[in-house]
Amino acid sequence: MPAFGSFSLLVALVLSAYSLLAGAVALRMLATGNRVAVSPERLAETARRAGIGSFVAATCAAFALVWAAFTNDFSVAYIAEHSNRALDIKYKFAALWSGQEGSLLLWAWLLTAYGFVLRVRHKVDVTLTAYASTILAGIQVFFFLLINFPATPFSLVQGPVPPDGNGLNPLLQYAEMVIHPPMLYLGYVGFSVPFAFALGALMMRYPGEKWIHITRRWTMVTWLFLTVGIFLGMHWAYNVLGWGGYWGWDPVENASLMPWLTGTAFLHSVMMQEKRGMMKSWNVWLIFSTFLLAILGTLLTRSGLVSSVHAFAQSPIGTWFWVFFVIVLAICIFTYILNRDHLKSEHHLESLVSRESSFLFNNLVLLVACLTILWGTFYPVLSEFFQGQKATLVGAYYNVIAVPIGVFLLFLTGIGPLLAWRSTSMRSIRKNFVTPSIAALVVAIGVIPFGVHPWTIVTAGEQGSFYAWITFTLAAFVVTAIFAEFFRGARVIQGHTGRSLLGSVVQLTRRNTRRYGGYLVHFGVVLIFIGISGQAFNQSKEMTMSFRQSMTIGPYRIQCMDFSQDSNANYDTEFALLDVYRNGHKVTRLAPELRLYAASQQPLTVVANHSTPAWDLYVIYAGKDAATGQPVIKAFLNPLVMWIWIGVLITILGTGIALIPNLSAALAAQRSRVTAAIPEEVVTAGKAGD
Amino acid sequence: MSTIASGLLLIGLFLYVFWPDPNAEAQRNKTRLEYLRERRDNLYDNLRDLNFEYRAGKYPEEDYAAQRAALENEAAETVAEIDLLETQTLAAPLSAAHHSTL
Repeated sequence: MPAFGSFSLLVALVLSAYSLLAGAVALRMLATGNRVAVSPERLAETARRAGIGSFVAATCAAFALVWAAFTNDFSVAYIAEHSNRALDIKYKFAALWSGQEGSLLLWAWLLTAYGFVLRVRHKVDVTLTAYASTILAGIQVFFFLLINFPATPFSLVQGPVPPDGNGLNPLLQYAEMVIHPPMLYLGYVGFSVPFAFALGALMMRYPGEKWIHITRRWTMVTWLFLTVGIFLGMHWAYNVLGWGGYWGWDPVENASLMPWLTGTAFLHSVMMQEKRGMMKSWNVWLIFSTFLLAILGTLLTRSGLVSSVHAFAQSPIGTWFWVFFVIVLAICIFTYILNRDHLKSEHHLESLVSRESSFLFNNLVLLVACLTILWGTFYPVLSEFFQGQKATLVGAYYNVIAVPIGVFLLFLTGIGPLLAWRSTSMRSIRKNFVTPSIAALVVAIGVIPFGVHPWTIVTAGEQGSFYAWITFTLAAFVVTAIFAEFFRGARVIQGHTGRSLLGSVVQLTRRNTRRYGGYLVHFGVVLIFIGISGQAFNQSKEMTMSFRQSMTIGPYRIQCMDFSQDSNANYDTEFALLDVYRNGHKVTRLAPELRLYAASQQPLTVVANHSTPAWDLYVIYAGKDAATGQPVIKAFLNPLVMWIWIGVLITILGTGIALIPNLSAALAAQRSRVTAAIPEEVVTAGKAGD
Repeated sequence: MSTIASGLLLIGLFLYVFWPDPNAEAQRNKTRLEYLRERRDNLYDNLRDLNFEYRAGKYPEEDYAAQRAALENEAAETVAEIDLLETQTLAAPLSAAHHSTL
């Protein structure tokens, strides 16, 4: 099987290279009108098919590696390094992406899978897809070169084959970890498609904005995968790393957030291009930057350039990534300079108080956030280069900038949909802003008795409570504005159809899925902000607990009922059984664990969490007291965390709705299908009958 | 086993890529007329959205009137250019047919 895997990778490389070269030659022939023995259409068709073939070959290679993991083939060095016999079957599958070479294979496979869908759907716009397919083939060549030469996953172990493997990193032996990396990769890799379309459209000076319509769904799907990947990572960090938080501004976390920020900016600003033919250069550069940041993020993770809990060891492939990054950047700049006159805006910003300006501010803020994170992430590298000493920026640096930026974004989320395109009059502002402002005022006053005291920023120098208060106030504004949008639209539908209000809301959403799905996404984002602002009120307590001893945190009393240890083939574990009481009533029993994995001799904290809408009681087994042998228990009371996960689910739902075609478009498509299916004479006869 | 699988993969993919396809899709560049039709549809969508938002009570009368007028002007210019190009497109084959008859 390793030989078949290696051969498949080589075939995938050859097919990708052919797809790139034949595609480029065919497009050049079409552009210049020069013909040779083979027609450009025929050549382009073989290039398209070679791209599809590369997906088949990459699938064979991925299958060969997974097969090697399932059959415990430790003659393959990668499997010996990242799997072992006792490993649970679902984690054997995860071995595909648990190491450098395997995860690069996953990257390449996903890239060809996206390419497969793009090439199969080429009839949507044959020439534009041919450009995109050729560009995608170029990216494929790079990744297949990597996994064929410096980072092949099928290299064999030197010397005798070991009887068992080193096992999977314990941190990755967690159910969500089986889907978190593929989701992130789907997000990272997926941005290659809108990038390829944007670059292709610019190269061929594509007239109009239809390429945006074609790529819109790709971009949304990709954005959704990246969002889900990031939040699964947060959920994993919260439940596995055992430090009580979910985001640590780790370089690899930052690497995933940066393309997400520019991708979010693109999803917003692209509407200005579709609606008003504005911001064309900006949009092209946003999607170029998003792809480049995805490559930069992969470079960070792969090269060992920065230290991170996620990063792979120092490796020579960093140089390969740098070269690829520079080549892509050069191609982007060159193509842009050559064709920049094609990207002239059809309209200009008419007023600072308009939907366009709110999108512009939204973009600027997202970009500032991205640059701040980029600077912080690369600071250790830059400080080492300029000062000879590696200095790392801690979370406080990011929080000082990210929190106000986040609050401003929340503000824009609220006001953007209330503003009109072109310009908004004062009367319109008064008309639309009154109800949300009243709701915001009510919440601003209403949260004060619950301990949210904004004045502590002045009296005690504490920013947390102040920002939480602003967040709650703005959240009320945004949520009211969103509900008002649904309510107003539904009333119009209700007036015409006589449906119930709920039925009208459904009809309204189906009528313009993108807009109302988008509002649901905004609602999800508001809930995420509310959840994050709960951090300002976190509490924690640590205690060595003997049998039946209690500790109190917030409204909870935790009583230690037992502590013991156990072991199986994969790990040894120590755990405590803790009864949790509130107002004298037992609410749950928690069992935090500390595992030591046999193969890797690495420890893993298994968090016990009692989650409610108000707060999470998050308990970890921090180890044994050396003197008494009793468990050291650390408890955190984290308010509102559940709203983050609920907000993510609503965001997913909203994006899913936005991906559904509008009712009118679907009906039109259905009508055209029916008309096409009916023989012409029947249609003519029907018309005559009318 | 690996050798047989590799051979089958190679032959299968080679045949798939280079098997002649008489119906290779024509690589045709988009015309200005197609572009203008897309633009017209887009403007109509914008008008529909504006009307709906106005009926929902989102904009005051004068804002609505100004925005509608601007969009209608833009749509009228686009439709006029479409008409012109369509007339030219129809006229070209007719003229060619006329010359060949003569």
